[in-house]
Amino acid sequence: MPDALLDKLRATVGTQNVLTGVELSPYVIEGRTPEAAVFPGSVDEVAAVIGLAADAARPVTPWGGGTAASVGMPAAPAGLVLGLRRLSRLLEHEPGDLTASVEAGMTVEAFQTALRGRGQWVSLDPADARLATLGGVLATNASGPRRHLYGTARDLLIGVTVVTADGTVVRGGGKVVKNVAGYDLPKLFVGSYGTLGVIVEATVKLRPLPDHERLVCIPFERLKDAGAAVRALLASDLIPNAIELLDAPAGAALGAESPALVVGFDGLREQVDWQCAELNRLAVACGGQEGRPLPDGTWPRLETAARAAFPVVAAVMSFSVLPSQVADLMEQGAGGARARGLASAWAAHAGVGVVRAAVGSDVRPKEPSAIAAVLREWRELARAGGGHGTLEWAPLAVKSQVPVWDDPGAAVRIMERIKAQLDPRNILNPGRFVAGI
Amino acid sequence: MTLTASGKRDLRQELEAILGPGAVLSDPDELLVYESDGLTLFRALADFVVFPTSAEHVSAIVKLANREKLPFVARGAGTGLSGGCLPTEGGIVISLMRMNRVLEVDYDNQIAVVEPGLVNLHLSWKVGPRGYYYAPDPSSQQACTIGGNIANNSGGPHTLKYGVTTNHVLGLEVVMPDGEVVWLGGKTRDACGYDLAGVFVGSEGTFGIATKIVVRILKKPQAVKTVLAVFDEIDRASEAVSAVIGRGLVPAAMEMIDHLTIQAVEDAFGCGYPRDAAAALLIELDGLAVGMEAQAERIVAACRETGAREIRTARTESERLLLWKGRKSAFGAYGRISPAYMVMDGVIPRTKLPYVLHRVNEIVAAAGLRVGNVFHAGDGNLHPNLLYDPRKPGDEARVVAAGAEIMKVCAEVGGSISGEHGIGLEKSDFMPFIFSAADLAFMHRLKSAFNPTGLCNPGKIFPTKKSCGEVGPVAYRPHPIEEKGLAQRF
Repeated sequence: MPDALLDKLRATVGTQNVLTGVELSPYVIEGRTPEAAVFPGSVDEVAAVIGLAADAARPVTPWGGGTAASVGMPAAPAGLVLGLRRLSRLLEHEPGDLTASVEAGMTVEAFQTALRGRGQWVSLDPADARLATLGGVLATNASGPRRHLYGTARDLLIGVTVVTADGTVVRGGGKVVKNVAGYDLPKLFVGSYGTLGVIVEATVKLRPLPDHERLVCIPFERLKDAGAAVRALLASDLIPNAIELLDAPAGAALGAESPALVVGFDGLREQVDWQCAELNRLAVACGGQEGRPLPDGTWPRLETAARAAFPVVAAVMSFSVLPSQVADLMEQGAGGARARGLASAWAAHAGVGVVRAAVGSDVRPKEPSAIAAVLREWRELARAGGGHGTLEWAPLAVKSQVPVWDDPGAAVRIMERIKAQLDPRNILNPGRFVAGI
Repeated sequence: MTLTASGKRDLRQELEAILGPGAVLSDPDELLVYESDGLTLFRALADFVVFPTSAEHVSAIVKLANREKLPFVARGAGTGLSGGCLPTEGGIVISLMRMNRVLEVDYDNQIAVVEPGLVNLHLSWKVGPRGYYYAPDPSSQQACTIGGNIANNSGGPHTLKYGVTTNHVLGLEVVMPDGEVVWLGGKTRDACGYDLAGVFVGSEGTFGIATKIVVRILKKPQAVKTVLAVFDEIDRASEAVSAVIGRGLVPAAMEMIDHLTIQAVEDAFGCGYPRDAAAALLIELDGLAVGMEAQAERIVAACRETGAREIRTARTESERLLLWKGRKSAFGAYGRISPAYMVMDGVIPRTKLPYVLHRVNEIVAAAGLRVGNVFHAGDGNLHPNLLYDPRKPGDEARVVAAGAEIMKVCAEVGGSISGEHGIGLEKSDFMPFIFSAADLAFMHRLKSAFNPTGLCNPGKIFPTKKSCGEVGPVAYRPHPIEEKGLAQRF
């Protein structure tokens, strides 16, 4: 990086907020080291940094807590990491409005803690809430088990402030819960992986904290029966806030010795009690055992249950399929891996058709091509039912054989045009996203 | 652009070749029916109105329009309230009313695939016998179409708990502005790539024309409880809204009906609202039967504490429907007390309700007009209805000016200029109240990615000098069917 650019960056954000050299080790992805990591302290500074990067044609990788840094194709060989950790304030919280505005670098946990003090929460429960920032969760559309009832970031984000690829500050949406003025920019930025703009502030809808919440585990001998119980549960009057389906290896990570159905309920105590009793009845009729409550500490472990089944994983893939196809995908996918001598673990937000699978690794490193073959087969299984698969984590040797992102079909042309319109010089996370965007 | 008479004849032949007989209108008398939507202040005449029955039809029409550089706009039932489907620059109105089938219902996965011309309520009728319903419930749901709901990202009373249209749409088959047919999203929950379905919903027909829509259907709740809280002062009713939310309750719906509206509704339907009340809150809870009473008690306590003089509970389903009839038919009921009205659609933070309602009343009084308020209080989505007489010189201009003032107040308290009706033609010039030039330029670039020629529904959303022709609020003149005594204007 030219010294002149470094000097300008230091002058913009302060010398101590520009990292270079060995200080960059936390920001090395797939062996690629950025030229500098810059930590602006305000929205204006973010805009100035992106403006400088754009003028110098330097790619920019937005960085929150770094928990999803390895998702997608690795960043371009040279460029800046733009860290948002100094933008971490709660800007506004009016409990009577059930909304709050925050800076993007605030961690989910810090945000929840502040809200909890006033009897509210934001219904986002991604993994790594301690590290993950709200901006990062929005940009990667991260979610957790409670999405079953409360939806994902797209359902909660009502306003967003971004710095665009030319260093302009743009706002979309607003601060009110219902708003159709202008295009829905919040939807555009949720899940866009930092390729269209850098999220710097967000306004989200909140919910009152429930009086009571409980998580119940129902062990099954056969995954197929647990799948039937999911179907019965979805057709019932019950209103669970989470429906997790785990195969035996993933169940073991939560202390179950077999496939398991894990269901959450919230509300008044009498509502939770009644629903737990109904769930038992319904699950036993499908071949399940008596349910037992799980400790509250289990909630954050559900999102990573598949990955936690192995001390070392070789790859993690997630799928979005129809809820009715979840159990079949899990069984067939695990069977396919087994046939190639690979162990896998599967866990699903079964009610919404979001499935995650991990390939286990052992002492002897597996051939990348064997892993790639299994991943391709899994993706085909999901596609056959109208779904798709994303390779969430794998070494570069595997990613080079299996595309990280699935093929969005003819819509890819629109995505490319959006990228070309909004980031014409291709400096925001180039090459990381779908179709090389 | 203007078509020559012979050019128009040729085009009509081409359109008929695509669509067959009985599916193309070009006679000015017939086109008149399509010159307005539900906001009759704005009018514009199309060169053609066409009635396709398939995505292939729509695609062929759009390609033809592109070849001729003619603007085109999709239209559903015409119940829109912002002039969003008006052919402001002439061209082709593509009516989707003949594409009104439910193509598929998948109860296991709780989704339905429908055509855009399907009437909103008809989907709930279709899936109702199996215990399901479609949640977004605009007040016009007996007439409005799901395609129109997509364009405006429509809401409704129950969106307080269940979210607006976009929260219930998973995917769409879209005829792009160049005629290509593309799926955005699909039947599964998470998008592959950018959330184009999410971006498309609410784009007011400027990103293309949806020809198939995948929506979620929900299980009907086990139990419903509806109460009417009656207040002697509107401020107390406004405070009750925040009090309910502040107690950790999110009702399925929380609607406010003011004194003037109660008069109109009682004149028209006799729903049993107390005529002497300053305001009433219609509050509905739904969910499990267990705990319903306990939750209702919390609501009643919040209303009593803020000064409700009386709380009525619907004891039967017919009592419940009668209470809702008053709310859902309020707009039509204004016809009893005023020859015309213009509905506003501002949104404010809920806690600002008392202040903003005062300001609305002040603005309207200063303009020498009357206002009826009936709105989604729980969401902070105001609907001041400015009552006026279009035959009285100057009334329309005063309504338009007062409307702009009200929008400014909404913007000043951190709100929005539209909660569910869309920007369309009506509010495009108000966009700078809440968006900067940079915000609007960014949105325009997004539009260019979908609609580079601008032929797809031009003249909407973005602030612009009103184009030529009959666009913009125009002086009242009776519609031919009014003159013949066949219809009356509400």
